[in-house]
Amino acid sequence: MSPAPADPLEYKPLDGGWGWMVVIGAHISIGFAYATPKVLSIFFNEIQQDLGSSFSEIALISSIMLAAMYAGGPVSSAMVNRFGSRPIVMLGGLLCGVSMITASFGTSIIYLYFCIGVIGGCGLSLNLNASLIIISKYFLKRRPLANGLAMAGSPVFLCVLAPFNQYLLVNFGWRGSLLILGGLMLHCCVAGALMRPVPLPCKPPSYALEKTVEEQPNSGNTKLKKRFVKNAKKFLDFSLFKDRGFVIYLIGSIMFIFGAYAPIVFLSAYAKSQGVEEYSAAYLLSIMGFVDMFVRPGTGLIANSKLVRPRIQYFFSFALVFNGTCHLLCPLIKSYAFLVVYAVFFGIGFGMVFALIFECLMDLMGSQRFPRAVGLVTIIECFPMLLGPPAAGNYTLIMHSTYTDINQSKSAKHSSVNIEHALVLCS
Amino acid sequence: MQSMKLQHGMERELCLSVCVIQLWMESATRKLQGDTRAASLLQLKGEGGGLVVLLHDAASRETRKRSSERPAHRGDRGIIIMSAIRKQLSFQILLLFISCRNINTKTLGATAPPLDPTAPLQKLERSYVLKGDSHTEKVELLNPVSLVLMCTWTGSQNKPTNITGFWSKDGKEIENSRVTVQLENKQYNLKRTFSIASEADLGSYSCDFGGEAKINFVLAVPQMGDERDKPIVSYLGDSVVVPCKLDDSKPTPNTWNWYRANETGKEQIIAGQKFSIKNDEKKTKLVIHDLTADDSGLYYCGAVYGVGITMGRVELKVISFFEPLKPFIAILVEVIILVAAILLYEKSRSKKDYTAAGHLGKITDQRRALR
Repeated sequence: MSPAPADPLEYKPLDGGWGWMVVIGAHISIGFAYATPKVLSIFFNEIQQDLGSSFSEIALISSIMLAAMYAGGPVSSAMVNRFGSRPIVMLGGLLCGVSMITASFGTSIIYLYFCIGVIGGCGLSLNLNASLIIISKYFLKRRPLANGLAMAGSPVFLCVLAPFNQYLLVNFGWRGSLLILGGLMLHCCVAGALMRPVPLPCKPPSYALEKTVEEQPNSGNTKLKKRFVKNAKKFLDFSLFKDRGFVIYLIGSIMFIFGAYAPIVFLSAYAKSQGVEEYSAAYLLSIMGFVDMFVRPGTGLIANSKLVRPRIQYFFSFALVFNGTCHLLCPLIKSYAFLVVYAVFFGIGFGMVFALIFECLMDLMGSQRFPRAVGLVTIIECFPMLLGPPAAGNYTLIMHSTYTDINQSKSAKHSSVNIEHALVLCS
Repeated sequence: MQSMKLQHGMERELCLSVCVIQLWMESATRKLQGDTRAASLLQLKGEGGGLVVLLHDAASRETRKRSSERPAHRGDRGIIIMSAIRKQLSFQILLLFISCRNINTKTLGATAPPLDPTAPLQKLERSYVLKGDSHTEKVELLNPVSLVLMCTWTGSQNKPTNITGFWSKDGKEIENSRVTVQLENKQYNLKRTFSIASEADLGSYSCDFGGEAKINFVLAVPQMGDERDKPIVSYLGDSVVVPCKLDDSKPTPNTWNWYRANETGKEQIIAGQKFSIKNDEKKTKLVIHDLTADDSGLYYCGAVYGVGITMGRVELKVISFFEPLKPFIAILVEVIILVAAILLYEKSRSKKDYTAAGHLGKITDQRRALR
């Protein structure tokens, strides 16, 4: 497996010390980013009654938020490169907080689309990308572990926010709950404060550069402007597509994301169709989340070991195949006990993949190219993310097949692609 | 032509038949002119004054038509003549009918009869064969019915030829319901017809076989589905939508009513400026505007069926905006404190590093100088 290209201005990353505080900050930030669109659905019933709109109109809020979060990737990466992670995460936290607070005063559905969907989504996208980038700056030797711990934020916040939101809803109604949730999201600003900027490398060269720039003030200004424009264009950089590893990673991740969220959406429906009662079916998802919480740091630890670290891409492929086979075996399950076992294995597979998904990208691209790469990847991942579950739903309608069949086809699709991915990456 | 119902009083009969003939002639002429609507209106609907009104209508329409027509046309003149004759006719009928009506009131009495007085109640039959000791059967009723309940019991170990069976309602024995039941084909049968007309007639009806076996029939209107146990929370000055829903499997009620719980019981809510009710078959919504603290409490939605009302319960809680504001401000203060603490800590550490570096630099310089 060819290592990442060596960076010219490489400084020695901290790999510890304040780095662990940065991991905590990233944990909070990523946690809010992934969990918020999902837990907002708890409020949808109440909002739907008060505003008198249909359920699909309300569900669009979540979709807009997710779309904005992923689409804002390139912009977020560009801003992080320019200003550093700290101001961006603090800005993101402020935006999220403001979005929820203004949404609590909403009287129409369009207002909610704008406040929660657009503004909230933008805030979350700033958070997400900035957190990933700063981890790549602070860690090298212990990077898989740091990534695993940071990505564990998503299931942790999901498990904490879901019952908390229910409690808020009962006591304060949806308006009060959104207000308080906005306050909680301001903790992303705290996370941002933790993300101390990485000390820049050797100062003298940059001073020399600055001097030469100052000597030619007039032409210097226009030169700077041109350079800035060039840099800005660079961040939706298509030269990355020349890298074969990046292209394979991208294709693999598109296929994976397309199929990954469908089982989550349909799991409880499938369980109900097998005769399980509603409460136990919902319980399956929480089992999955709980297992996920522990698997992500665990995978990070394993990936960090001397044995696995050099072969991390294979480990990633193994995780994808494991996920796929898990889904393939699902149709054979009939009883509730086995469904629980399936949920556990699903949690393990899901956790493993998500712990490694950004680690592998960092490994492929190196810390210099990673910001641009992650921006591109998130904006392209936006489409399968939004199209996946509805496509699966339509598939059942068209083919009159059950959940089991979609499962089989989707998992077969993505596990085969990922086996190819692994094989190609070897060369 | 509808057939007239036979009533007592020969004069009345004669009078009415005369009316009938004249009206028939009237409607025939109308039909000939294509004015079928007026003609059909003139058909007898029932007894009583309705006919007078109809005649009035026809007559007034006639006059209106006449006034709007221009007498110049030849055809029109013909119509005018015809209409003049008709007007006379109708006036005569009117007079006759008024006199008939007087006879009506003399012979029959004051009260107007209901719409379908002798139409029988819908018949419904429910039966159950009991093999054990007891059983409860649920019967869902929508409209007033004449309910026939049949109980069959296979008997216990020893099967006496005769047992005493009786019926009871809500635990109390119904009078004169004790009968001796014969053993037929190794079974005991009890059958009784009940007229269920209103909510008071609903309840638990039981047939009892000599105190040894009992079948309960619980008569009720379709019940509301799962009741919402958590209250709806809303804010002062805001408006709130209180919903109520029937299961899709239940039949559609005739209408919905909303009630507010107060000290004495339930008080019906009337739609107006403060409340508006939106009904939609199996769902209903009560919209309350300009909430005040007094609006908190229990609200009941009632689905009205022919034979009774089924209630659903919703609780409303109105709170002031300061309630969520307090935890919010607490969280805000906490965030500001944390951010400030982290940034200050960083600043102080970097100052320490700077001064330490400065010290180190001074020491090395001194050492160099000493050398």
